[in-house]
Amino acid sequence: MNRTATNSLGAASLLLMLAALFMIFLYVPSEAEQGIVQRIFYFHAPLAWVAFMAFGLVAISGIFYLWLGDSIWDDLGYAAAESGMVFCTLMLVSGSMWAKPIWGAWWTWDSRLTTTFVLWLMYGGYLMLRAMADDTPQVARFGAVVGIVAALDVPIVIVSVRLWRTIHPAVLVMRNGGHGLEDPRMLATLGVSMLAFTALFAWLLLLRFSELRARTRLAGLAQRLAMAQAAANDMPPGAARGIAEGAS
Amino acid sequence: MGALAAMMRKDLRLELRSGRSTIALVALSLLIMVVLVFALGASATRRVDSAAGALWVALIFSGMLGATRALNSESENGCIRGLLLSPLDPAAIFVAKLGASFIFMAIAEAAAVLLAILFFNLDVGAGIARLAGVMLLGALGFAALATLLAAISERTRAGDLMLPLLAVPMFVPALIAGVKASSLTLSGAPPGAISQWIRILAAFDVLFVTAGYLLFEHVVGEDQD
Repeated sequence: MNRTATNSLGAASLLLMLAALFMIFLYVPSEAEQGIVQRIFYFHAPLAWVAFMAFGLVAISGIFYLWLGDSIWDDLGYAAAESGMVFCTLMLVSGSMWAKPIWGAWWTWDSRLTTTFVLWLMYGGYLMLRAMADDTPQVARFGAVVGIVAALDVPIVIVSVRLWRTIHPAVLVMRNGGHGLEDPRMLATLGVSMLAFTALFAWLLLLRFSELRARTRLAGLAQRLAMAQAAANDMPPGAARGIAEGAS
Repeated sequence: MGALAAMMRKDLRLELRSGRSTIALVALSLLIMVVLVFALGASATRRVDSAAGALWVALIFSGMLGATRALNSESENGCIRGLLLSPLDPAAIFVAKLGASFIFMAIAEAAAVLLAILFFNLDVGAGIARLAGVMLLGALGFAALATLLAAISERTRAGDLMLPLLAVPMFVPALIAGVKASSLTLSGAPPGAISQWIRILAAFDVLFVTAGYLLFEHVVGEDQD
């Protein structure tokens, strides 16, 4: 992966994040009903957007991996799951911090909270699988299958949880009804924050992705080296593969 | 189709001669019911909800055990390799294993329902058929999910521990729908009241049977590269 591209993406996300912080804390007016706490929204909504995008990426790379069999898709899916998990965790934490002063409880079994929490559990399972199966040769296919199945499950989770908890707190309805952000400065702040978090995610994803690519390449090189050594020593290929697995 | 029937016959004959999985699953259901009677209490006020919850806890545990048993019998002595070398489509292996797990689960569920009626002192009457239908829909969905994921988890370092970590979060929608439909049925609600939950259960079943059918070959195969 191109180093300058990665670095400039990192610099861009730093600048955007500074701009977003300035706008959130100094520029945007406080919301009338909720006051200063509502500023958490400018972190919370972009985190949610990034987390859902990341998990979509896991499923899409899973499909491409099973279809094309190129390890590049597996590395991309794994990197997206890891980075997405960070953003999903931050979304739950920031949502909880917002819920305490507004709803009076750190956690309620509201439909959106529950859906996100179930999603967090599913991708936690995905990451645990990757950690527990890292020495299994089929781990890439396992990851692809779990990523796809989890994404297929999401619509049913949303429907069932919504029927289970039909009471939507007014805050949530207002927030998405388009009436919550009357001031144009609020929309501008949200836009910049969205960009900042998306750039941060892209940067983290790229860093992790290049590391995984390097690891995959290194494993391939180790295997080729062992094969070459075996050929030089006139060993049977089975023994050479044993050396390669020991080396990787 | 003949090969599929032969595979299912093999699994069922193995079970009829040894009885290992069925006895283990029924015993597990009994113990879960006993634990939940003590944990939730069998008092008159909330016994319908407690019983519905207990039935689905028993379903999840027996499903995990059933799917693990159905697949472990193939990985012992590398039998799965022989199956994969045979002209069988891997999807047919999935259907056969799903069928075996489903039958084990259905037996365990029947025991669990009888025990719940006895322990929680339920008055089901005509609702029993509807309750059985709801439980069987849930069992089919869980068997499909668990069969696909057990094929993955049994090859990881964590072994069977990995299965609940993957399967339980994904089963949440069917669990919500199933518990609601069961408690509504047990409290004597009209059939129309549970139709939306039945639809969710049916959608879950269709989705996971299809996903397992299409994806199973990617999890059982040996690695070529």
